[in-house]
Formats: sequence, structure tokens, C-alpha cells
Amino acid sequence: MSDEASHETRPAHGLDAVDVSDLLRSVERPGSGFRVATTLLLLVLLGAWVIFGRQLLYGLGVTGLNQPVAWGFYIVNFVIFIGISHAGTLISAILRLSNAEWRRPITRMAEVITVVVLGIGGFHPVLDLGRPDRMLNIFSAGRLQSPLLWDVSAITAYFMASTVYLYIPLIPDIALLRDRGARPQWLYKFMAWGWRDTPRQRKVLERAVSILMVLVIPIAVSVHTVISYIFAMTLQPGWHSTIFGPYFVVGAIFSGIAALMMVMIVLRKVFRLERYLKQIHFDNLSKLLLIMSLFWFYFTFSEFLTAFFGNEPSEMRVFFYKFSGPYAPWFWGMVVCNFLIPVVVLSFRRLRTISGIFIASTAVVIGMWLERLNIVVPSLANPRLPYPSGFYVPSLVEWAMFVGGIATFMLGFVLFARFFPLISVWELQEGREQAVRETMERVESYLPDPRPRES
Amino acid sequence: MAESGTRTPGWIYALQVASVAVMWVFVLGISGWILHLNRLSQRLHDVPSATVAIPIVAIPVFLTGAAVLTYVFVGLQRGARAAGDESGEAR
Amino acid sequence: MARWGMTIDLDRCTGCGNCMAACHQENNLAAVGAAETQENRAFHWLRVLREVSGEEANLEVTYKPVLCVQCDNPPCVRVCPVHATYRNEEGIVGQVYSRCIGCRYCMAACPYNAKVFNWYEPEWPGDLQRKANPDVSLRPKGVVEKCTFCHHRVIRAREQARAEEREIRDGEVTTACAESCPAQAIVFGDLDDPDSRVSRLARSPRAYRPHADLGTRPKVVYLAQQE
Repeated sequence: MSDEASHETRPAHGLDAVDVSDLLRSVERPGSGFRVATTLLLLVLLGAWVIFGRQLLYGLGVTGLNQPVAWGFYIVNFVIFIGISHAGTLISAILRLSNAEWRRPITRMAEVITVVVLGIGGFHPVLDLGRPDRMLNIFSAGRLQSPLLWDVSAITAYFMASTVYLYIPLIPDIALLRDRGARPQWLYKFMAWGWRDTPRQRKVLERAVSILMVLVIPIAVSVHTVISYIFAMTLQPGWHSTIFGPYFVVGAIFSGIAALMMVMIVLRKVFRLERYLKQIHFDNLSKLLLIMSLFWFYFTFSEFLTAFFGNEPSEMRVFFYKFSGPYAPWFWGMVVCNFLIPVVVLSFRRLRTISGIFIASTAVVIGMWLERLNIVVPSLANPRLPYPSGFYVPSLVEWAMFVGGIATFMLGFVLFARFFPLISVWELQEGREQAVRETMERVESYLPDPRPRES
Repeated sequence: MAESGTRTPGWIYALQVASVAVMWVFVLGISGWILHLNRLSQRLHDVPSATVAIPIVAIPVFLTGAAVLTYVFVGLQRGARAAGDESGEAR
Repeated sequence: MARWGMTIDLDRCTGCGNCMAACHQENNLAAVGAAETQENRAFHWLRVLREVSGEEANLEVTYKPVLCVQCDNPPCVRVCPVHATYRNEEGIVGQVYSRCIGCRYCMAACPYNAKVFNWYEPEWPGDLQRKANPDVSLRPKGVVEKCTFCHHRVIRAREQARAEEREIRDGEVTTACAESCPAQAIVFGDLDDPDSRVSRLARSPRAYRPHADLGTRPKVVYLAQQE
């Protein structure tokens, strides 16, 4: 990856005291906006739960689920939320691992997305249970042979690893807030774990981060692979496919990058971070997004071509249900959102403005949601036997929980921004102090060695 | 950066130790649960071979996570103490 | 140990629907009502499907009673997260209603769509609840249920046989659907006993097993004139 942003060594780049207080403004001088936003989001969430109370009271009948279509919005949202969580830790780990210097202002936000969204996504299967009161049966009588339990363990592992991975690089910033006397003092004292920025502590921290970033990548890949296995391990047409694992992982990273850019653009606007999240960051991320879009198209094409060419009757029913049947609007909407819009917008420099990128990212997130819908519902709606095709119309309860999930996502960000810096201050500082020199040394090491001087 | 304000009171230190302990309880709990399910499948003759893979992969991952966290905690405490003893060492 | 199986002669089936009614009565199936049926939540362990074929001038309608085929290699059992569905040693796939958490993974995984879900608190209008079959437990809301091959009848026959110190005789046990069929299209019995009626019928050249290609090894065998 290119390091154009920090290539020049003029002292104007980097952080000074004004910048630091700029970055910590959301914590030190939160303003009334936080209270308003928190209240509004809590109200939305409360409303969603009140509506959801109907389901607890009357059972799953209040959803739009029915006989052949036993899974709907809850499972779709479970898959998309968990997918978006890959934005975070996976991308941040890959960028850290590959020494991409432009990662510095991005990683923190990516990691927050992961933790918040993973919590939301991981909760969705519980919403989907007919008997949530019996959930503890999973602990007493679970079957590790069931793909659902693979999910439980993979998501728990990912949640643990990504929380630790968010927390550990946060320690120096918490200590900075502690030393600047931010309130509540006890919280920062507690969370700073006695950080005093000694060389020894730095070494410990760096070593821990490098262990974690290696650990997190396989876990993240396994999580979405295992989620695809929920579907791929059954014999159902449209699900029983060997490429589902990588297909889901690619889709997850794809939607993750898009969600990350949406979050970055919104927060940049709200907290006036234009000086830190620059065009170059969006340019680099949108190149990644473009690559993932092409990958996604390649996988989708392979998946559907094999189904079509095989021409198996039950597969064909699902295929035509999506291609030209009742799900055609969602199917073609997905192709437009996931392929046409991002490829057109991101390929041309003139369209690759911040608003262009925002449109493309939003399209991708919507498109990936449609993809999950296209995977879950049509296969269930078209059983093998000569049943009539099923239908599925989500009910108010399901929509409410969808909105509630999005509100929880925003609430997570609002609360995080209230207590912690959204951009890693110490990593930016480190970028100024060391990375420029290190990068130059690295680039020199790529170049041909100097010719031995002839004596 | 070492200032008098960074001294951590005893109860906060106790809280910090407790949070690391909670992490271990969580990780060991999960590991114990996975092993319990593994034993259950053996007792019920319900494809026990299939349940071996998950403990092999998952338990080390959980333990590594908790170990890294503990390593950071202990490392930071030691670093802070060393800096406190010979305050000249801190830059 | 018996391995219970069933043959359904589609050439005999008239599509009268007696089997459905008998199944409802025998197994205390809840009544979901017309509105819920419109929502595709009709509630049957056994359904008679209608297949229409042929040209517009001479339509041909065939009927096919569809129930859980009691796979010997059941996809639903493999995916259950809590041991709530299982295959017992006699080959019947059962559901533990008191353990099921209602995740509906088994429904999504079943290639035969044999399982049904209690979307609401089940109701037995009128005096149906009072007249419920005492041998079959009533199911609560939020759990999956399915055909049990009238397992309670099998248990009763086995105990009877044990008391009389003999084996269960062929034809001694039969399911409610088989009993009620006026065309005698459904035959129930032990597939491991080569002389049983069901075994002989299952060996008929007209016999086929639904979606045998999936490797589920179903124990419901259809008999139909092959074209």
C-alpha cells in the first residue's frame, strides 16, 4: 500500500497539542448533542423492545414467518450484522500486519464497529428462538455437532478477541485522558492499567498487539465461514454449496469495508475530523472496496452459473424464483447495488468524491443485505416436494427489531465517542515520531542495494 | 509523564485485578462448557468424533486471549513499578 | 428390534383426506383456524398434496399423502443444537418437546418439510382438549413437532407383547392414518422382517423412496405405476 500521506517529512504533518485536544473534544467537551442523541436512540430502542414484547407474549406467530419459510429477517440480520463486524478487526489487523501506514486514523473506528455490531448480531439468533426461556439448554445439553453451536463458539471467540484487540491499543489513550483529568477519573484510572508510557510498557503493548492481530485474522475468517455452514451443511437447494464459506467471507469483508466508510464519513462530518480522515484514506479504502466488489461478482457468478448449468429441477426452482420470479426485484437490486454502482462510482476518479464514496458504500451495505435475504428466503420458499412456493412478508415486529438493531449500532458509537477518542491519538503521534523514518528505511530496503564502491 | 496524579488507589488496583480474574473465569467457563458438551456427545454416542475438532481449536484460542490480556496487565504493572522505583529510566 | 416403515400406494389413494383427519385426532394436533391457514401456517403432520399434470383438455390429478419419512440418516437430527430431535433404535425420528428451543433449524434442514412449528399458543377449540388422546402429550407454543409414526401405539403393542412373552406380530401395530384409509393404501410394519407385508410391498417394482438420491434413507416408500 502506498504511504503518500506521510511521505513528506515537513514538520507541518502530525500532531501538536491543539490537535490532541481537537481529537479529545468529544470526550472533554461533549456538549448537549450527546445527551440528545443518546436519549433519542434509547427511545427508539425502547420502542423496538416494546413492540418486541408482543412476540414474547404471543410467540413467533407475530412475525411473518410461516410453514416453508421458517427463517426470515432475524436470520438475515444476524448474517449481515456479523458480516459487517468483519470490517473492523479483520481490516484493522490486515492493515496493521501489512504495515499500511495510512491505517493509523482508521483502525480504532473499525475495531469499534466490530465489537458493537458483533454484540448486536450475536443476539439475533436469540430473538429468533421460539422458546427463549429455554436458551440455557444450549449450555446444559448443547450439541457441538450442530453448526449452530459452531457459531456460538466462533462468535464468542471473535467477540473476546476483538474486544481485547480494541482495548489494548486503547490503553495509552485512556492514560492520556486520565492525565488530562477527564471525568469520570476513576474510570480512566481503572482502565489505564497503570500506563505511564515507559519504553518497557510500550514493548509489552506492541508485542500484545502483534500477537492479537495474528490471532484475530483466522478467527474472523472462521466466524463467517461457520455462519455460511449453517446454510451449506443442509441439503437444501441453493444452500448446499461448497463455495459458501469463502463466498460469505468475501461478502462480509465487502460489506464491512462499506460500513466502515459510511461510519467514517458520518463521524468525520459530526466531529469535524476532516484533517485526520483525508481523501487519501477514502481513496485507499475505496480501492479495497472495488476489489471486493469484483470478488463478490466473481463468486456470485460462479455460484449461479453452476446451479444454472447443472439444471437440477429443485435448484432451478430456487434459481428462477430469484432470477425472474417473485424475488427478481431483490436479486437484480442486489446486483445493481453490489456491482454496478460501486464499480461505476469507484472506478472513475471524478466520481470518487466523498459523497460519491458515501453513495457507493451505502449501496453496498444495502446490496449485501439484499444478498443475505436472497440466500435465506428463496431456498426455504421452494421446497423439493411438489409443494406450492411459500411467501414471506416481514411483520411490524421484525421491522421494529431491525430498526432497533441499527439504533443500537448508533448508540454504541455515540457512547464510545463520549468516553474514548475515536481516532487513536498515540498511534498518530507515533506515526509522526517514528513511522516516517521507518517507512523511509523500509522503502530504501526495497530498492537495489548501492553498488559496492570500486576501490 | 509520571505525575503524582497517576498513582492508582488500592481499590482501583483491586478492581483491575478483579477484571482480569473475570476474564479468566469467562475463558475457563467456556472451555469447561465445550468439554462438557464433548463428554455429553461421547456419553450419548452422538458422533463424538465430530465434537473433538471444536475443543482443539476453540480452547487454545480462548486461553491465548486471556493470556495476552494477563500478559499486558502484568507487563504494564511491572513497567509502572520499575518507572516508579528509578524515575530516571522513564524518558 | 423392529425397524418401522410404511408403504403408501399412490395408485390406490383417492385423496379423500381421511388420513389427515385421523392423524389430527389421534395426535392432538392443535387447530390453527382459517386466518392462520391463509398465512401458510396450516398445521399437519400428514398432508395430502395434489399434483396436477397433463394438458388442459385432459387434466390428470394425483394425490400424494406426505408425512415425515423417518429417515435412517436424518438431516434434522444432525443440525439440532440441543439434542431435541433424535432417531431412536427402532428408526423413529422423535422430538423432545420439553427440550426444543424453537430455533427451527431442523425445519430449514428437512428436505421433506415434514416438521411443523407452534407459532402461537396452540388451541383446541370446543371440547377438543377434553377429548384429547391421553397417550399423546399436548405441545406448548414455540416448539417444533412432527409425525411420530404413532409411536404411542408401538409402545402399547410392545408392552402387550412383552406381557404375553412373544414378539409383536405383523399387522398388530398400525398408525392412525393407515387404520383410517378406506382404500387401504397405507401399510405400516417392520421393514427388517422380510416376511412382513410392508417389506414385501417395499420390494415391489412399483416402489420408490422419495428423494432417495439425497442419501437420507427414508422409511416411507411410495408405490406407483412407473411410466
